[in-house]
Amino acid sequence: MSVEERPVVMPRSQLVYGEIVYWVTILAAIVCMIGPVISVKNVENNVMNPHYLFAGIFEGKNAETIWQEVGHYKKVVDGVETEVAGFPGGHFYFDNFSKGDGFTQFGLALGCSVAVWALIITSFCFLKEKNPLFFVLALWVAVLVTFSMIGVV
Amino acid sequence: MSRMFKSPWLEVNIMLAVLIISYIGIYLIGQGLETPPGGMSGTTIFAWLFGFFFLSFAIALVAVIGGIGGGVLFTPFMLAFTSVDSLIVRATGLIVAMFSGLVSTGPFMRGGLANLKICIFCAAAYGIGAFSGAQGAIYVAKYLGATGEGLVRISLGVILFSLAVYFIVGGKKLEWPEVKKVDGFTKWLKLGQPYYEVSLGKVIDYPLTRAGLVLGAIIGVGMLSGFFGLGAGWAIVPAQNLILCVPLKVAAANSGVLLGMGDCIAVWPYLLMGAIIPVFAAPWLVGQVLGGLLGALILIKVKAGFVRYLLIGFMFFACFGLLTKGLTMLGVIGKVPLWINGVVFVTIFALVIVSIVRYMKAEA
Repeated sequence: MSVEERPVVMPRSQLVYGEIVYWVTILAAIVCMIGPVISVKNVENNVMNPHYLFAGIFEGKNAETIWQEVGHYKKVVDGVETEVAGFPGGHFYFDNFSKGDGFTQFGLALGCSVAVWALIITSFCFLKEKNPLFFVLALWVAVLVTFSMIGVV
Repeated sequence: MSRMFKSPWLEVNIMLAVLIISYIGIYLIGQGLETPPGGMSGTTIFAWLFGFFFLSFAIALVAVIGGIGGGVLFTPFMLAFTSVDSLIVRATGLIVAMFSGLVSTGPFMRGGLANLKICIFCAAAYGIGAFSGAQGAIYVAKYLGATGEGLVRISLGVILFSLAVYFIVGGKKLEWPEVKKVDGFTKWLKLGQPYYEVSLGKVIDYPLTRAGLVLGAIIGVGMLSGFFGLGAGWAIVPAQNLILCVPLKVAAANSGVLLGMGDCIAVWPYLLMGAIIPVFAAPWLVGQVLGGLLGALILIKVKAGFVRYLLIGFMFFACFGLLTKGLTMLGVIGKVPLWINGVVFVTIFALVIVSIVRYMKAEA
């Protein structure tokens, strides 16, 4: 182990990754603070009605049953918009952004995908630092998260 | 300008303001809500939301002081003492573990204590393990029903017991591991990253070794984390420290960053199948972010080693709850009477108090 007395400068890649993750995490937390307020403000404007949601959770029902019993969303069936029960899919915030739980799910998804955005930008920093190996590795991890996000694997 | 208007206090204050306004809003709106037949009242909804946030916040603060990850406390307690479905608990547990890691990423990266290259290298393996673990958890929940629920609780109880013993014994860790020979693969990776060690007032450059071997260990750790919804810092730190020879402090910082990065892969199977219920998970997420930040700013300098004993006591109690609940679900034993839980709780915490008194005497 070598011990030197000199100021240490962090590589740009490391700083960029840290800043993106930090600020996006804070943004996700703020979205998750506001989401439940929208949920309660207009209980009908939710995919899951909060009046029945927590009872279902604490009765030990599994996620599928809870979504089936409490969840309802609009779906186009044979060209006609119909209200159906059940789970609308993990990315349901796209179609339900103005709904309380849709907006909250957006906050969760934003936080849970932070590594993708941070790693993609960081990979280019690695390229600038002439580190092709970590350019590839950072993109590899970003691809793993992306595959997981879109349910490919 | 006051330091309260500069980062990191600025963002903490903004979050606190939004949080307070949000909860006051939920309370006031909740009071005016009409309760539908068979539904929960608005005030009760507020109480649950605030309770979840408060518990998560407390877990994050205690975890910062005790040096134990939030997921290790959340998942076992929820599984042992509530009837919430195990998949929902484990999925939310992953959110707890992950966000406590994510919020620590910025400061660790800025300070240089964490090493991004090691984190990315390990995440490439951890992600595969964590994703497989999450898929395994979904499979068990789909096809094993109540038996699976019981087995999950018993397995987690056994893991938690081993973990509590490991925390007592301390395990083998090396502050500055000595590297005798650097293998070709590790050398080629160029994972090293010098950092400024405050306690020494020097810049430290550390050699690493056995990078290939650490990948296998990290895949296993990832599987555990993904399956049980636990943070796995307790396993990631020794794996880096003993195999890769990362200095202890760097390994601990890396573990937070790695959990945040790697669990981004593990958490999505849960999100895509609906096991993460947004309004239920959100307060837990917020508690971890705010508690983790405030804990790091205010409490990190608090020398409260005794908190560790308290946490170990909680772990043993959760372990008892998990084992008995698991056995009850499998039909091996009947429901454990409340008084037995009380006796076990009193016994464990009597031992905890004795340990704390001994610790404080030794410190004095």
